[in-house]
Amino acid sequence: MKQGLLRWGDVLIGAAATTVVVAAFTLTYSPSGDARLLVISQAGAATQHEPLDRTRVLEIQGPAGITRVEIEPGRARCADSPGRQNICESSGWLQAHGDVAVSLPNRLTLQVLGAEPGFDSMHY
Amino acid sequence: MHPLMTRTLTLFFAALLLTACGREEPDTEALGFYAFGTLVDLTLYPAGQYDIEAIEAAVQEELEVLHQSWHAWEPGSLGRTNELLALQGEFSAPPSVLPLIERGREMEALSDGLFNPALGKLIAAWGFHQDEPEGPPPDQETLDGLLDDPPSMKDIERNGVRLRGTHPDLQLDFGGLAKGLAVERVLELLEELGVEAAIFNAGGDLMTLGRPQGRPWRVGIRHPHGGTLGSIELEAGEALFTSGDYERGYEWEGERIHHVIDPRTGRPSQGIESATVLHHDPALADAAATTLMIAGPDAWLEYAQKMGIEHALVVLDDRIEATPGLAERVQPSRDHEPFVVRELP
Repeated sequence: MKQGLLRWGDVLIGAAATTVVVAAFTLTYSPSGDARLLVISQAGAATQHEPLDRTRVLEIQGPAGITRVEIEPGRARCADSPGRQNICESSGWLQAHGDVAVSLPNRLTLQVLGAEPGFDSMHY
Repeated sequence: MHPLMTRTLTLFFAALLLTACGREEPDTEALGFYAFGTLVDLTLYPAGQYDIEAIEAAVQEELEVLHQSWHAWEPGSLGRTNELLALQGEFSAPPSVLPLIERGREMEALSDGLFNPALGKLIAAWGFHQDEPEGPPPDQETLDGLLDDPPSMKDIERNGVRLRGTHPDLQLDFGGLAKGLAVERVLELLEELGVEAAIFNAGGDLMTLGRPQGRPWRVGIRHPHGGTLGSIELEAGEALFTSGDYERGYEWEGERIHHVIDPRTGRPSQGIESATVLHHDPALADAAATTLMIAGPDAWLEYAQKMGIEHALVVLDDRIEATPGLAERVQPSRDHEPFVVRELP
């Protein structure tokens, strides 16, 4: 390398800065349908956001009983919920951007979101 | 490195990094509550401009009044109307019921009788008059009795606000129409409350009021088997309604019994898992979605044509069929096959 223009340390810092910038852009703007966030909306309660980053189980109390939500990296599902019709459970794993499950007895919706711009509303 | 170059590069990367933090904040705000026997979501634009609590209270109150008035099987205006129609004498109808009856007549005529709100007794025979439907299903003898000279909306005589039933089995049930009319009423209310733009979503069926500045509304469409079927961009004043066999039902002896009853057979409709209709009239979209499901795979386009529906799709066992108008509007999700486009007759 030519003495006086760039030194090895400069190159290292430049490469590191470029990597940070590229990574930031990729994470922010790259389209991805993979789910990253579970949005739990329950009538009369504040909306809850749960990152889909690790395995865990949530128990959500509603007017008809407890809805059990299983979370794994990149996906979530309504594992058990009150109601004879099993509509919430039959939605299966929610893993693509926009996937939704509804528990009417517990007045609850579960929706997973990815990195794409969110929907204004979900038709089902 | 030259100091000027160092500063320039640092500034350049810092500016780039800042733009990567520039993901837009939501320009809408949402609220959800339980009303009209379902989950209601309201998305309002622009964010931060409205008295959310006042809007929620007003919409909830309106929906509770409508739910009570229009419930066919609970005490209220429609429940009382059904009692009086069965007596076959003339009576003054509650004002809240008259729009239901008029739109019900219109939808029955448009659908050639496939959409028939006068068949409440048939609905009840299958157990769908209860919030939690259950069997046993009716036996063939019961169905034969109900289908021998069945009532229709023509069996209601109207003279101003005076009504008279002319059929002993007449029992009104406006499932498949009432939600559409309720959506229409709530959008009027939101306008009265000064809301500039909104999506009102009642149990998955929705309609837009106005639209955000500089962009359309973005709506995801759920697939009956789970996941997202696709997405659609909606303009102002568009309603999207779906009727599906997964919505209400029960298991009986290993068979799934669903709530959309075909008036020709007296049994749950077959062949179409769900029908979705886009139209500016929410009541028509609601009734047409039910009608297309009943019509079945061979005739849904014919009935769409009869009812003036240009934007519709149906989910069958192995494919999704759509009219050209809706196929053009819906962006299918990556997980599903492209739609089979079928021309209207």
